[in-house]
Amino acid sequence: MIRGLWDRETVALLLLICLMPLALVWLWFGGPEAWTRLALALVISGAWHLVFMLARAQPPSFAGAITALAVAMLAPEELGLARLILGISFGSVMAELVFGGWGRNVINPATATLAFLGFGFPAAPWPELVLPLAWAAIPAAVLGVTLGLMPGRVIGGALLAALVSWGVGQGTWPAGLAPVLPMAFIVLVLLVCDPVTSASTLPGRWLYGLLYGGLVVLFATGWQGAAPAQIAVSAALFASLAAPMLDEAAISLWRARRRKHLG
Amino acid sequence: MTAPSPLWSTLTQPLIRQNPVTLQILGICSALAVTTQLPTALTMAGSLTIVLALSAGIISLIRRHIPDAIRLIVQIVIVASLVIVIDQLLQAYLFEISQSLSVFVSLITTNCLVLGRTESFARHNPPLPSMIDALGNGLGYSLVLIAIGAVRELFGAGTLLGYQVLPLAEQGGWFTPLALMMLAPSAFFLLGGLVWAIRTVRPEQAEPPEFAAPQIPEGME
Repeated sequence: MIRGLWDRETVALLLLICLMPLALVWLWFGGPEAWTRLALALVISGAWHLVFMLARAQPPSFAGAITALAVAMLAPEELGLARLILGISFGSVMAELVFGGWGRNVINPATATLAFLGFGFPAAPWPELVLPLAWAAIPAAVLGVTLGLMPGRVIGGALLAALVSWGVGQGTWPAGLAPVLPMAFIVLVLLVCDPVTSASTLPGRWLYGLLYGGLVVLFATGWQGAAPAQIAVSAALFASLAAPMLDEAAISLWRARRRKHLG
Repeated sequence: MTAPSPLWSTLTQPLIRQNPVTLQILGICSALAVTTQLPTALTMAGSLTIVLALSAGIISLIRRHIPDAIRLIVQIVIVASLVIVIDQLLQAYLFEISQSLSVFVSLITTNCLVLGRTESFARHNPPLPSMIDALGNGLGYSLVLIAIGAVRELFGAGTLLGYQVLPLAEQGGWFTPLALMMLAPSAFFLLGGLVWAIRTVRPEQAEPPEFAAPQIPEGME
């Protein structure tokens, strides 16, 4: 993606546009509180991008706004200013900026922030997102896949995992899965389909989507007392940690096949 | 101004410039496991420093008599004997701390730091420099352990050495403990941050990049 129009910022801006349906519906239902959360997250994330631009000459990226949006939507509530600042700083710096900025990070900074806040402050309640948001995530996913920014195979793999669990239950969802599904889909679009940290080989993407869907099903049925957002974010974290391994497996398979054919 | 004596620099080099934990990344297993509280970190640091210094001294004394083929076995036997002595002493006089340290005192035997120093330094040097080198490395390890232990105890429980420093919210204060600090990942983050900070101040410690970014020809952007 070096030539022509498609540089890193084009991708970031188009991704931001893709997520607009989700963001606008969330702001519409969330009211002034949602606006303040988003503004706060944008300011902190932007400040760190600025610091790294000045200290390390790393160009700032609009991807920081995507991180801020995901964190504002999914972060646990009643944290207070100081802890939210700590969490967003940790996620943006440790998961993205120290690696050289967006495009070189290993896990999604928003996922890192949310996992940090979730594990660090287990008492804070996770947000409940309204159902229309899950519907708004559908146009976001369609836009992202059409523009080639979000890997469609990942979404396909996740849906396949959900279908399998539906089939295993003979046409009913496994106990506890149904209330998690809308949140799992929103997280799929917001965090899992991030073009940088999702798997990047074609079979790897199927596996990555399947792994995310499978983990959501596993957590929803087996994790007592977990909130939907907690289940989806944890599944996203573990899936993204496994993504490089899935790519590696896909590449090894490809090489083994080539060796067999070409000697 | 005279140059510092070689013994002095043997002692001070491993404190920060050649720190065994942050530069060579040795012995981090125990550094992660015992640093949830300052008392355990201090005890562990003390035990390791003593074992390291004594084993370096003993191995250095008999360095001309150890056959090369079985030197590792001999070294481990010496280290393990010392560790057992320390473990028994802790159980006798500091029972509670030795309970919370659990197996990690016994695991000093397999600590890479101990074998690293005896193998690379004590085997080739007379007892005094060996022990001073071991002491320096033990103190460097202790420095890291105490720093991480202090941060984890302060932000994880609001206490230092058991005394309440930050007033807890549940007792009418303002501080809510950071539960993450009590979990193992936080030690990784803190150690990573510490390594980053030290290598920022001393860029000569940074490793060369493994991969170079692809060159973008002029006018392609």
